[in-house]
Amino acid sequence: MSRTAKILSVLVVALWLLMAVAPSLLAPSDPLAINPTQAFQKPGLAHFFGTDESGRDIYTRVIHGAGDSLSIGLAATALGTGLAIVLGTVAALSPRWLDEIILRVLEALYAIPSLLMALLIIAFTGPGVGPAIVAVGLSTAPGYARLVRSQIRSLKNSEMLEAATVLGRGTWLKVKNHLVPNALKPLLALVTLGIGQAVIWAAALSFLGLGTPPPAPEWGAMLSAGRTYLHLAWWMSLFPGLAIVAVAVSATVIGRALGGKVKSL
Amino acid sequence: MSEKTLITVKDLSVSFEGSPAVKNISFTLSAGRVLALVGESGSGKSVTARSLLGLSGGTVNASELSICGQDALGFNDRAWQKIRGNSISMILQDALMALDPLRPVGREIADGLKEHSSLSRSERKQRVHEVLESVRMPDPELRAKQRSTELSGGMRQRALIAQALAGNPQVVIADEATTALDSQLTALVLSQLRELKDQGRGVLMISHDLAQVAHLADDIAVMRQGEIVEAGPAAQILNHPQHGYTRKLLRAVPSGVPRFTSLSATSSPLPAAPVTDLPTAPPALSATGLSKSFGKQMAVDAVSFELPQGKTLGIVGESGSGKTTTARMVLGLQKPDSGTVDLLGERFTPTTEPERRKLREQMGAIYQNPLGSFDPRYSVGQLLADALSRGKTKRVESYRQEVTQLLEQVELSSVLFSRSPRELSGGQRQRLAIARALAPKPSVLVLDEPVSALDVSIQATVLDLLDRIQLETGTSYLFISHDLSVIEHMSDSVAVIHQGKIIEHGDTAIIFAAPQQEYTQKLLSAMPRLR
Repeated sequence: MSRTAKILSVLVVALWLLMAVAPSLLAPSDPLAINPTQAFQKPGLAHFFGTDESGRDIYTRVIHGAGDSLSIGLAATALGTGLAIVLGTVAALSPRWLDEIILRVLEALYAIPSLLMALLIIAFTGPGVGPAIVAVGLSTAPGYARLVRSQIRSLKNSEMLEAATVLGRGTWLKVKNHLVPNALKPLLALVTLGIGQAVIWAAALSFLGLGTPPPAPEWGAMLSAGRTYLHLAWWMSLFPGLAIVAVAVSATVIGRALGGKVKSL
Repeated sequence: MSEKTLITVKDLSVSFEGSPAVKNISFTLSAGRVLALVGESGSGKSVTARSLLGLSGGTVNASELSICGQDALGFNDRAWQKIRGNSISMILQDALMALDPLRPVGREIADGLKEHSSLSRSERKQRVHEVLESVRMPDPELRAKQRSTELSGGMRQRALIAQALAGNPQVVIADEATTALDSQLTALVLSQLRELKDQGRGVLMISHDLAQVAHLADDIAVMRQGEIVEAGPAAQILNHPQHGYTRKLLRAVPSGVPRFTSLSATSSPLPAAPVTDLPTAPPALSATGLSKSFGKQMAVDAVSFELPQGKTLGIVGESGSGKTTTARMVLGLQKPDSGTVDLLGERFTPTTEPERRKLREQMGAIYQNPLGSFDPRYSVGQLLADALSRGKTKRVESYRQEVTQLLEQVELSSVLFSRSPRELSGGQRQRLAIARALAPKPSVLVLDEPVSALDVSIQATVLDLLDRIQLETGTSYLFISHDLSVIEHMSDSVAVIHQGKIIEHGDTAIIFAAPQQEYTQKLLSAMPRLR
């Protein structure tokens, strides 16, 4: 992977974080302010990314939409990995029968495509930001859990831990110094990859009208709204779409780079 | 009879991306002769062997390269493929890796025939049985139908040799074919190679161990850094070596060398042997009636031994004899079904791990593959700081002096301080493992095949190091190995373990001079010796 791609990715993610934390800094106006006289304006100096059917500034809305995508992406991934670490560790350290049960459950969950499972969960809870987080988080957990389980399992029986035992290390020191850092290292890379994926899923749910409800500025929802006017106002879809792609690709590039570093160890 | 020249190599050079691996070497191999290429890993011997099969993967240059009367310099892939297996073939090192575990060995052997001959299916089957019989495979009809995982170690080796012989090649290359095999399998492979020679084939043996080739080779070529430093008839090389490097290799062979005699010229001279006989002191380590079974299989059966302080007890046995299970029980890593282990007169097993932990510092362990026992995130310095601080920190700063001392003790340069153990050579890694084990100043070291993965010349320096540490610190060694010559050189007393039982034990000199048990006699007669 080229150095430029990595640097660019870090910049995009940094910008994304800034947009999420302090959107007014970059776009001082109100993302919800409508102005019917200014509807369907082309991108220009007055409106960098143009305006939508109600005359809302797309640029402002894209900037303010970062917050939702970030919180959904991070919260969902945190939920997924948290659940995965618990499940994976319990499975790896428990007696065979319990391990088997957890594994079968994980495999069953893994068999259902993540987006489909998210839809299923939302079918029970109803749409909204909270349910979207839970849905995406739950659907990513099985993959992470299997990684954690296999890591801990192979580490548990490793010569490295045996050597630590022979050197007289207690359980706590073995877990703290060797088991946890070595088990979580590959997870870190996968999680970075997962955030990009979670952003896409969150946007997909909103696009389907199952995530953040309109008129809140959410990239997926904006994409969906723009779809209706695609033939006369392409900018309504293009800019939120670009935002999703840029963030997802950057997170992936960073994740890959981290993953490569882990593998080379 | 005039010997037919099978292989002529003149001024062979092989380089990889510009860096030379083999430089201008020349040799010939005649029918009915065994030529041994001997040298350390990285000396270019394997590359040389592979270039005879067109498999070197580098840029090959030579003024002559003729194989069975054909000029191989102009060979393209097809031409190479035609002679491989047919005129020249290779016995691979690891039978378990080289044979497909999912296919019957008969089919593995027949594969080569399919490529090279016009034999019909039933003729091929016939030929497979012939070669299996020629390598004295018991029950060839039955074995041909079995997969390699269903065969015993010996049968697997035979199958591997049969595979190389299927196309009836005139030249057979054995690339470290006996490395990592226990003494009986080694003897088997060597006797097979002798038969190949007697059948009038040319055999090219590749080995890092002069003792392995001593009794079979007609000619020996010693390689170092891509060059042949000395070549000639075996008797001349072994008895009157001219080159310093050949002498170094010969000196490194431990069999028949008395205890505490340096095997390597490079390491510092050993201090005088101490006169520490403390008859009143408790034994450093004693095991009584250790037993362990896996299912119905008795892995270790009532093993008892005593290791006096400052001494070395060698435990020798073949693979699967229960050596490693014994070591694991001694180290408290595996719970014995019955029996006890005492360390310096205190109960070590059976007891609880927290109880045992107080004694752990007194017993260190060295493994065959040290890399696996290091945390991959730690550098050399961090590993030692971790060991010195008892796991409290891996920060090197607070232990810089002690770490440097440890490195000095095992003759490692402090340049390696911030390196990862993965960047070290096999010998350096083992030294690092020894340094780490020494950090808590143990009374006993359990060494499980500590030098089996090392070249003979590197092995010599590590054995010398262990000798020196024992003399300096009085550490007792429980030395476990399949290699009789290493055990003979390192041990004060020996226990021979066979099928989980200690069948003979006593003073090393006495056991090696006059073994009582038939099994021990068999082991010793299979041992390759120089002296």
